[in-house]
Amino acid sequence: MDELIQQFGQLRQQLKKNEVWRNVDFGTVLTDSMRLPHADEGGKYSFHCRVPNIDSYCVITENGYCHQSLMETSEGIVYGSLRAAKEQRADLVALVMGRGSGSDNPYRRMNDAGYSDGVFIYVPQGCHPAKPLQLLSLHTAEASLFMQCRNAIYLGDGSDVTIIHCDDSTNQHTGMSNNVTEMVMGSNAVADYYKLQNINDNSGLLNHTYVTLAAGAHLLSVGITLNGGTIRNHSEVSMMGEGCDVEADGLYINDHIQQVDNYIYVDHLHPSCHSRALYKGILDDAAHATFNGHVMVREGAAKTEAYQTNRNILLTDKATVATKPFLEIYNDDVKCSHGSSIGQIDDDAMFYLRSRGISEKSARTLLLYAFCDEVVGRIRLEPLRQRLSDLIKQRLHGELVVCAECALACNSHCGCSDSEFTIDPTLL
Amino acid sequence: MSLLSIRNLHAYIGEREILKGVNLDVERGEVHSIMGPNGNGKSTLAGVIAGNPKYTVTEGEVIYNGKNILDMPVDVRASEGIFLGFQYPVEIPGVSITNFMRTAVNEQRKYRGLDPLGAAEFLRLMEEKKKIVEMTTKLANRSVNEGFSGGEKKKNEIFQMAMLEPTLAILDETDSGLDIDALRIVASGVNQLRRPDNATIVITHYQRLLDYIVPDFVHILYEGRIVKTGPKELALRLEHEGYDWIRHEIDQQ
Repeated sequence: MDELIQQFGQLRQQLKKNEVWRNVDFGTVLTDSMRLPHADEGGKYSFHCRVPNIDSYCVITENGYCHQSLMETSEGIVYGSLRAAKEQRADLVALVMGRGSGSDNPYRRMNDAGYSDGVFIYVPQGCHPAKPLQLLSLHTAEASLFMQCRNAIYLGDGSDVTIIHCDDSTNQHTGMSNNVTEMVMGSNAVADYYKLQNINDNSGLLNHTYVTLAAGAHLLSVGITLNGGTIRNHSEVSMMGEGCDVEADGLYINDHIQQVDNYIYVDHLHPSCHSRALYKGILDDAAHATFNGHVMVREGAAKTEAYQTNRNILLTDKATVATKPFLEIYNDDVKCSHGSSIGQIDDDAMFYLRSRGISEKSARTLLLYAFCDEVVGRIRLEPLRQRLSDLIKQRLHGELVVCAECALACNSHCGCSDSEFTIDPTLL
Repeated sequence: MSLLSIRNLHAYIGEREILKGVNLDVERGEVHSIMGPNGNGKSTLAGVIAGNPKYTVTEGEVIYNGKNILDMPVDVRASEGIFLGFQYPVEIPGVSITNFMRTAVNEQRKYRGLDPLGAAEFLRLMEEKKKIVEMTTKLANRSVNEGFSGGEKKKNEIFQMAMLEPTLAILDETDSGLDIDALRIVASGVNQLRRPDNATIVITHYQRLLDYIVPDFVHILYEGRIVKTGPKELALRLEHEGYDWIRHEIDQQ
């Protein structure tokens, strides 16, 4: 095993007593045969997102490397490989790299020192791209890989952008990704950021997201974990000016012995900012989930509104959840709340549905789907919301698998049996 | 053969015996009313017939349409034509009434070997059935019972009954929480759904409902047994005199 990979596995020892990191153990994901990727592995994957009605500016990172040259659209959007961007547009890269906020930690330092490549996106001031931007991280190589990607996104003042970011495995090889995404949002910028994760049961993903918002910026972030061996979503959001708005929601559906750990830190530094985090999860078999939420309201952040909620459904006696919502407040003029719940499917609701002739399996799916819908319903990109609804139904039916495509594109198991839920009630 | 025939039914909730030997026969085309003081087993009887898993049947049988239904799962009983109108309809956030009803209607059709209803056909059916309970709001857009008033919840129960066209409907205190107008609408809905080949069991505390839904028989369920059966006038006597005379009669036996 490469020394770097060994070093990564040992970080767990250093961080065992660190409240923020102690729940994560990637040591179990690492294998003796795991190696670092080569720059020439991949680049053969041709992709267009097959979600009906989504046409996107798409950048693919394959096995840690991006093979797309830097593109510039007529709107002035620059996107493509981060390596290429550093060579050709160092001026733009400097707007993000090193300017992002968020705390230091050993995993992030490892990425700083050794990332291979990633995606760079620059959206100029006032730009409203006609198409969403899509980042796709794929593990396609027929080998166990340890990958470190770095993504840097700059959204100019007043821009309004939709970003879809997917992490997928296309085979059953073990992968470990230690990815860092930094996003800098200019004043009054609006970003809808959708994160979808569907990696295989053998793989690990440590996904750092550091977002910095200037005054008046608005971030909507919806993260959906459909599958994955060991996933840690580490998100830090800093509101660096007045009047920012952050809605950060998450949904995780895990079974077998999967582990998912969501950490979100929201920093209110200035007055009149609003934040909300809603994370919901369904745990089956012996899956384990952790939620750590931390809202920091600094002394100067008067008129802050901050809400944080984590709700979980456990389907078996062996599934477990550790949840810790947390508020830290240094100003008196604020409205804040936090809460969490862990429960089972409601027996009364089950009986009610079944008493109308709905089978146990369908009633269960209907209730679980309804539970998920609160988060999925936040997605404002309609075709994506529809597609994710279908994927979640498949996931709840146990029909979703990792295959040779990314989850959004894959059509191989879409003969979804529950056509009963196809009516869109908003059309009535 | 009776549509429903209950013999010596004993049922428990936890360690407590609630039904202590109920006997009841219901024929097609009939309306039966079950009355009785609180806590004497009326809702338990409704729940046992519908198949609520929180009750345990220890003795006796329930024959419906020639089949012993006690071993049937809840949803199979529903597909066989049994409908329970809930005293406290359950709120289910996130499940729209449309999806709920379409799933229910099509699963019942599947059970009976019928093709599922297409979207257009289904929506037409919904519009038609909404009229039966004078549902004018866009009630159908909303999550099942979420934020509904007491009256809306009960109307929604009868609307579901209209959609599913049961053979045996058991209405558990459908009149509780209704104002006069809502009571009239709900009762009129139930009457419109009466056919010669179906039957209705109405559980109520008040004669008032029976002015609208006129029963063929009134039963008094007392301490887990049906202790008296009579014509609709029996309900009037209860309204005037309460249950003391029943207690008195039983004590004398």
